[in-house]
Amino acid sequence: MADNKQLACMTCEPRGLCGGRGLLTLKEGAWANNPLAIQVLGICSALAVTNRLENSLVMGAALIFVCVGSNLLVSLLRKVTPYRFRMIAEVAIIATFVILFDQFLKAFYWDMSKQLGPYVGLIITNCIVMGRAEAFALQNPPALSIVDGLANGLGYAVVLAIIGFFRELLGAGEILGREIPGFSSWYTPNQLMILAPGAFFALGIVIGIFNWIKGPEPQEKK
Amino acid sequence: MKNNVYTLFYAGVLGTVCSLLLTAVASFTAPYQEANAEAEKNHNILGVLQVPYPPGASSQELVEIFEDNVRLEQKGELAMYIYVPPKDSGNEETVAVGFEGPGLWGPVKGFLALGRDMRTIRGITFYEQEETPGLGGEIVTEGFRKRFVGKKIHDKDDNVGIVICKPGSAKEQNEIDGITGATMTCDKVQAMLNEAIKSIVEEKR
Repeated sequence: MADNKQLACMTCEPRGLCGGRGLLTLKEGAWANNPLAIQVLGICSALAVTNRLENSLVMGAALIFVCVGSNLLVSLLRKVTPYRFRMIAEVAIIATFVILFDQFLKAFYWDMSKQLGPYVGLIITNCIVMGRAEAFALQNPPALSIVDGLANGLGYAVVLAIIGFFRELLGAGEILGREIPGFSSWYTPNQLMILAPGAFFALGIVIGIFNWIKGPEPQEKK
Repeated sequence: MKNNVYTLFYAGVLGTVCSLLLTAVASFTAPYQEANAEAEKNHNILGVLQVPYPPGASSQELVEIFEDNVRLEQKGELAMYIYVPPKDSGNEETVAVGFEGPGLWGPVKGFLALGRDMRTIRGITFYEQEETPGLGGEIVTEGFRKRFVGKKIHDKDDNVGIVICKPGSAKEQNEIDGITGATMTCDKVQAMLNEAIKSIVEEKR
């Protein structure tokens, strides 16, 4: 069985996106090694901004942008960056992308910028971004690094959107700030879901479901 | 040695490129950001003074309505935005005073509108705040701001000041229900409001 699997992978490897590694990388980042649900990284912002679906979506977009941008740049510079200087370089690059996004948000999406407050700036310290730059972009070519950044950003964004959806639905009885016909009229919003404990419950349940669907690690199985 | 020089060179180039990029973006977006901040301020003054304006008015129209209707009066340190509505409109004369102070994470700024008696709160608005989204950030919601309308800036014995108390426990004429989970923000808002109220009362004397 195991031999078969390996054979299939060996034959498919040279073809497709980024020498066949593209899809694998995408699946790894967005699902099998989901930064939030499986690795449980970057949960600070995930807990803080998910009380509204719209906030979650913008935050997810911000992380995709920063992850893709910083992965691309770190990967492009990987051969000229002095080894002991690499982390400082990574942080400088990440900070540049985060401030870029923040500035555009302030100029063209003022209301959202006010809602998210300090959390956009705090993406600089998000372990997912730095983790991907350090663990992936430093060793891989630019195109594949973009795929990895996209995958991990998506993995984060999707989990955020799921949590944001349920927190807004149960906590405010609305979706995207709009009332839902046939639901908002009789549903009494549960304040707990808007507050911090609601975020922990929601995140815990999502992590549980992700792990349950994915099943145990192969080495744990026996 | 050669290694060190290269590292320093690399750091210099990377730092310069990043800062040039950010400077370019900051100067490109600055006019938009300033216009946003100015429109936000005017919008808030109009809103808190309850000046009628068409919904969906452009920033330009808002500036015109603002200039036509609102008069700025400087009394010592205190800037008062006064709206005298047309006689047949049935609206009351309203005075807005700015307030600001430290919030939980950053500065909080807003306007407090008082009726002609300078004692009754007619409205409140916040145009700058960085409180926790969903908790302290809820001070900007209409639900919270409405709780101020009709309250007095002094208690029954004429002691000046308002109190933002535990949610559901407001009884006196100068007590306002706070927000669950945002006690720190509420305390700080209360402090900055009382400072503004103090200067209003002093200026009136």
